[in-house]
Amino acid sequence: MIAGRGRQRIRPPRRGLHGDEVDFENTWGIIASAFREIHTKNASRLSYEELYRHAYRIVLKKKGEELYARVRQFEHEWLSNEVRGSVQALFSPNVLANTQSLGGTTANERRVAGEKFLKGLKQAWGDHQVCMSMLADVLMYMDRVYCQDNRRPSIYTAAMMLFRDDILKTPTSDAEGRVVLGLLTHVILDQIQMERDGDVIDKHLIKSCVYMLEGLHDDDKESEELRLYNVSFEREYLDTSREFYHQEAELLLRDSDAGAYCRHARRRIYEEEERCKSTLLESTSPRIQKVVEDELIKHRIHELVEMESGVRFMIDNERLDELNLIYDLNNRVDGNKSELTRAIQKRIVDMGTDANKAAIAASQSTAPAADAGGEKGKGPAPERNSNQQTVAAIKWVEDVLQLKDKFDKVWRESFNSDNLLQTALTRSFADFINSSAFPRSSEYISLFIDENMKKGIKGKTEMEIDNVLEKAIILLRYVQDKDLFERYYKKHLCRRLLMNKSISNEVEKQMISKMKIELGNNFTLKLEAMFKDMTISEELTSGFKHHVEGLGEKDPRRIELAINVLTSMTWPLETMGSSDDDGGKRPKCNFPIAIDRIRRGFEKYYNQKHSGRQLTWLANMGSADIKALFSKIPQKDGTFKERRHELNVSTYGMIILLLFNELPATQHLTFEEIQAQTNIPVNDLIRNLQSLAVAPKTRILLKEPMSKDVRPTDRFFFNEGFNAKFVKIKVGVVSSGNKVESDRERRETEKKNDDSRGFCIEAAVVRIMKQRKELAHQQLVMETLSQLAGQFKPEVNMIKKRIESLIEREYLERIEGVTIDSYRYLA
Amino acid sequence: MVVMKHEIEAALAQEAQAISSGTLKEDNPLDTSDNFRTFCEACRRGDQKVCQEMIFAGVNINARDRFDYTPLILASLCGHFDVIRLLLEHGALCERDTFQGERCLYNALNDRIRNLLLSYDYAKSTNPLQPLAAHITSLLSRPMPKTTDITITTYDETFHLHKFILAARSPYFAKKLAVAPTTASWKLPHNIPSASLSVALQYLYFAEVSLRSATYGLSDDEELVVLNGIEKISRQLEIERMFETVTEVSDRRLMRQQRTDELDRGRDQLDAWFRDNVLRNKAVVDTDKVENLQWDRENSIFADILLRADDADPCDLDQTDTAIKSSTPPVRNTLGPLNAIPVGPTKSRSPSRHRAPRKSTLYPAHRAMLLRSEYFLTMFSSSFREAQETSHLQIVKLDCSPVVLETILSFLYTEKADFGLDIAIDVLFAADQLFIEKLKQRAALIISSLGNGASPQVQFDNSRGETDAEETVDIYEVIRAAWDTRVQRLEEFGARYIAYRLEHYVDEPEFAELVQESAKRVTARQETDTVELVDDIRYYLSERFRLRFEDSGLDELMDETPRDISEIGDQDAEVHEADGYAHEADGYVPDIETQLAAGAIRTLDGEIAGDEFNQDAINYQILLGKIEDLLDNLKLDA
Repeated sequence: MIAGRGRQRIRPPRRGLHGDEVDFENTWGIIASAFREIHTKNASRLSYEELYRHAYRIVLKKKGEELYARVRQFEHEWLSNEVRGSVQALFSPNVLANTQSLGGTTANERRVAGEKFLKGLKQAWGDHQVCMSMLADVLMYMDRVYCQDNRRPSIYTAAMMLFRDDILKTPTSDAEGRVVLGLLTHVILDQIQMERDGDVIDKHLIKSCVYMLEGLHDDDKESEELRLYNVSFEREYLDTSREFYHQEAELLLRDSDAGAYCRHARRRIYEEEERCKSTLLESTSPRIQKVVEDELIKHRIHELVEMESGVRFMIDNERLDELNLIYDLNNRVDGNKSELTRAIQKRIVDMGTDANKAAIAASQSTAPAADAGGEKGKGPAPERNSNQQTVAAIKWVEDVLQLKDKFDKVWRESFNSDNLLQTALTRSFADFINSSAFPRSSEYISLFIDENMKKGIKGKTEMEIDNVLEKAIILLRYVQDKDLFERYYKKHLCRRLLMNKSISNEVEKQMISKMKIELGNNFTLKLEAMFKDMTISEELTSGFKHHVEGLGEKDPRRIELAINVLTSMTWPLETMGSSDDDGGKRPKCNFPIAIDRIRRGFEKYYNQKHSGRQLTWLANMGSADIKALFSKIPQKDGTFKERRHELNVSTYGMIILLLFNELPATQHLTFEEIQAQTNIPVNDLIRNLQSLAVAPKTRILLKEPMSKDVRPTDRFFFNEGFNAKFVKIKVGVVSSGNKVESDRERRETEKKNDDSRGFCIEAAVVRIMKQRKELAHQQLVMETLSQLAGQFKPEVNMIKKRIESLIEREYLERIEGVTIDSYRYLA
Repeated sequence: MVVMKHEIEAALAQEAQAISSGTLKEDNPLDTSDNFRTFCEACRRGDQKVCQEMIFAGVNINARDRFDYTPLILASLCGHFDVIRLLLEHGALCERDTFQGERCLYNALNDRIRNLLLSYDYAKSTNPLQPLAAHITSLLSRPMPKTTDITITTYDETFHLHKFILAARSPYFAKKLAVAPTTASWKLPHNIPSASLSVALQYLYFAEVSLRSATYGLSDDEELVVLNGIEKISRQLEIERMFETVTEVSDRRLMRQQRTDELDRGRDQLDAWFRDNVLRNKAVVDTDKVENLQWDRENSIFADILLRADDADPCDLDQTDTAIKSSTPPVRNTLGPLNAIPVGPTKSRSPSRHRAPRKSTLYPAHRAMLLRSEYFLTMFSSSFREAQETSHLQIVKLDCSPVVLETILSFLYTEKADFGLDIAIDVLFAADQLFIEKLKQRAALIISSLGNGASPQVQFDNSRGETDAEETVDIYEVIRAAWDTRVQRLEEFGARYIAYRLEHYVDEPEFAELVQESAKRVTARQETDTVELVDDIRYYLSERFRLRFEDSGLDELMDETPRDISEIGDQDAEVHEADGYAHEADGYVPDIETQLAAGAIRTLDGEIAGDEFNQDAINYQILLGKIEDLLDNLKLDA
């Protein structure tokens, strides 16, 4: 199109259009009269094109500044002369009245007057906005060119500021010298207060006034934080709200219970949020929330939790909803929920301590009764006593579990499974379970398992069993002195295994594997070894049986041998039944010849398989099945009958009975004779004789004189007239079950435990020092503690002693001349 | 990611195959026409003016020559920043990860150019027609101000549409509406789902439609119905191309080509419609009778507004000009007696002696398109008279000549803006007034590229300040316009223009006036305490001479000269004081010309210099000195 034209000339712009001087005054006159029309809402007849062209020319002629100033002046005059008057007409006495005192006018009157005032102001503001946007349209070129170049606020903004200065910041007519803005704030706050008191107010109206405040700024730079809304209104709003809620909280705490308080607080929070959405600005929401939370919760949570109907009441009465409310409220103001946590922990420890006390009380309550029972039965009394203790132990465990269930439920349903609270719960449980006032937790838990293994799980489904085991594990988790528990568990397990009291091997193994998961490999190593021993022993037994069968002729009187070979390190043999005063030098009892032969046979057989091992026979732990034939004696129905019984007796019992085998029926043996012939330890002998001669159902021997105690001078006869309903009879040996230990026993257990702890500590210290070569005392203690945390919590004193002893034995030495105590490892 | 050579080769081969099989259009077709050769030559030399002319003449800006060079590669290789910008602004493609694109980037002479190229990467820039398309698409969903004049209803939806777009885009509607232009609503048969119509309408309204998004979330059956509907409707509206456009193409490049084609086609349709209807229906009436003219709202071209532009009556113009001259001391008068540059329309001076009645031209137009200007948008959104519905079309007067108005309209309707220098400044002002930023830039571009008079090459040769025999630009006017309309680019152009011809302007009083004005602007803006214009001129002056020295690789020459120059400068100053420059200026310009004609080498002082370079260096210092003096005289700090 152009290419062909060749040389072109540029033409200057047409003079006729924008070359000439503009008659400013005239043009402004046109514009000003048009503005007046706009303000009086007669704009529809005006020509945009014309007005724009005039403004454009003025700006193009570099008269932008003058135009800008004139427009401002025009607006200023308009606002002060026309609008201000109409706004001031709105100050009815009712509006003004409430600035002085609340009395004298009813709320309703005030509301109506306030609404009228707000409406009028909103109207004025709306009109101003519409007019100014029209003005801004016309003056678009000025805005874009003049204002931008000269960094002036756009004419629209400037006019908004004028509205602020000429309307909002003018004083009201009354003497107080309040400005309209303050009045406006007050009226809005008054309306909000009415809403809080339950009135219905015109939210839309307030919202539009709030929008006005939001759109205006206190300074001329339009900075965000200096919106009139923030500067004049919000601050006041927050202050009055704080005051209001402060009082309300006081009132409520006085008059209502904790649950109601929580519900109320929650409703207020929700209300304020709604109010920010519907009446005020969303940006206020977090701030007013904070005020409400501070006043209703943060400053009050302590009182709230401690109230009579507070947390404790709720827990005791299972008020899960209310607990949830409290949790929710506390969570709002405090991420750690420390108040609630504190209350809950306190309650747990209290309840746990109660359970502890109950257990101690239960275990001791029978003791005086037994004492009262007098001297006559020393045997049964402790037995009953320890039975009582076992019951107390189990009850304790169940109490604790119940407690645990209860708080778990609360935690789940009221505390939204909050992690922090879970750790708090765990800590509290650990606290009371390990409390120094109650040293028996390990034993009790082990007993609980023992009880369940022996009886509790009978006839239960796998699921239920699993549940029980799981509970035990949960408790175990809380226990700090795991080594003590291990000791007890080993002891109880040993009994169960040897006496075949365990209902299901499967369940035992399951338990072990659960512990393994919970406490690690080390813990269950020995327990597993015990099981291994049991299986190996079975194999040995059957192997020996084959061996014997292979030896040739079949002896009808052959004695069958079932044997358990126990590794001495793994099994807590010393705790088995017998007391240990004769521990190391345990005398060998004399077996009858038939038995002795088979014993030797087995020893030979065993030594063939494993050379270099020494077998020690623990007759006190075995049992024997004996077939006994009782001669004919007249029965109650007058018949004569030979009676065959199969007697299940302890090994000692068997030895004793066999003595009578060789004796004529009328002859007797004295206690001393028996003792001399069998070499059974006196204690065991007494107990066995008690069960054979004293227990009424299994009185296979007769004793002279007839009494409950066995004395060295007593004589024993075979009871020809023994009578029993069943063919199989089990002769129990007194006190062979797993019972709560007596105090003496416990002291022993603890002593042993301390000894083994000593070794553990030494091992740990050596391990650490071997690695670090040199270490300060404090650090060494710390590391030792952390290494052993999984097993038990050693006392620092004990560690010190162990270190001393290691130094004595020249594993370590003190480093000389160091300010901090330090040790060096000696290789 | 580094692509291996064989992979590139494979990709290129694949592309070549796609091109030969016709699935892909070649981005850079071979062009051996004369025009294109001239174009390439201009790009090599950096001749903005020829480039602009060639672009207006319609050469394919992305074609390649016999040696596989595209104009953009040539320009960036030869380092012509302005030409590159010109090319890019007119749609030259430089895309990463394409063969030609990477070549272009790789060949860029310096980082400045490379960055410029990257900033126009296709991923960021858009099709030049995109703003137009986006505007038309936005009309579909724009509630205020109301511009729609027809509704199409399906059984469950109503679409508010614009007759003129429908008529321009669909032959079916064109015929239908030609018969009954007043139709205000149209019902679609029930068997066509509204989703199909919506796709078709989006297509008509230049939106990028894809079937995938149209049928998203529909079951197969529903999808089939919609697709059938689309097919039916495209047949009915006689827009058969639509279906193929709408169908998804996976290839990015192919997609873009399709889109470009489609936009071009659509623009051409609009353009044709615009010329056949809007321009053909313009009415020329006497200005005093214009108020009597009434257009019915129901008209055959669906116009809803009349734009009026008054002819500048030549006599009036002349008279006002003289009037100003006599009455007011010239504030922006460029017709001063001292000026040798002839300005203004001189041709019509004599024939217009008899008083013909002043004429006005009326263009029927559509608000929908005018909305592209913020001025009209505000006007039609406001509650002033223009925004109201009247039974007869409103007449809106525009502050420009009919030619300019026509240019503006054609830009708004078709994005086309090729106009000559003669109206460029008018267009610039009008675009500024109406807030059409793109057109403003276009006008500035045209002035700065065409107005240069000659290519920079010529300017280099012109370092001794020879002036063109014929001035094409009244540079004072241009700079003032640049200030008034705040076009940075034009200010730079003006400064550069003067710098390259400084010896010609430096002594003119108008120049002094201009400097003074520039200084005032500075105080008003309070930005810096320098005189912007002078700074710019100094900058370009140094560029002008430095180029000269660098070209010859004789930088060391500069080390020798300062002494000489300061001496000369002293002398120079003395001479100034003695004579004053007006006189001197008159003195030496002809002088040097005669000297040159005689083959002697002299400085601007008329002294005989050792060689050309020496002469340049001296000239440079003299010019700088003159500017200093000028500032001193004006009592300005710089």
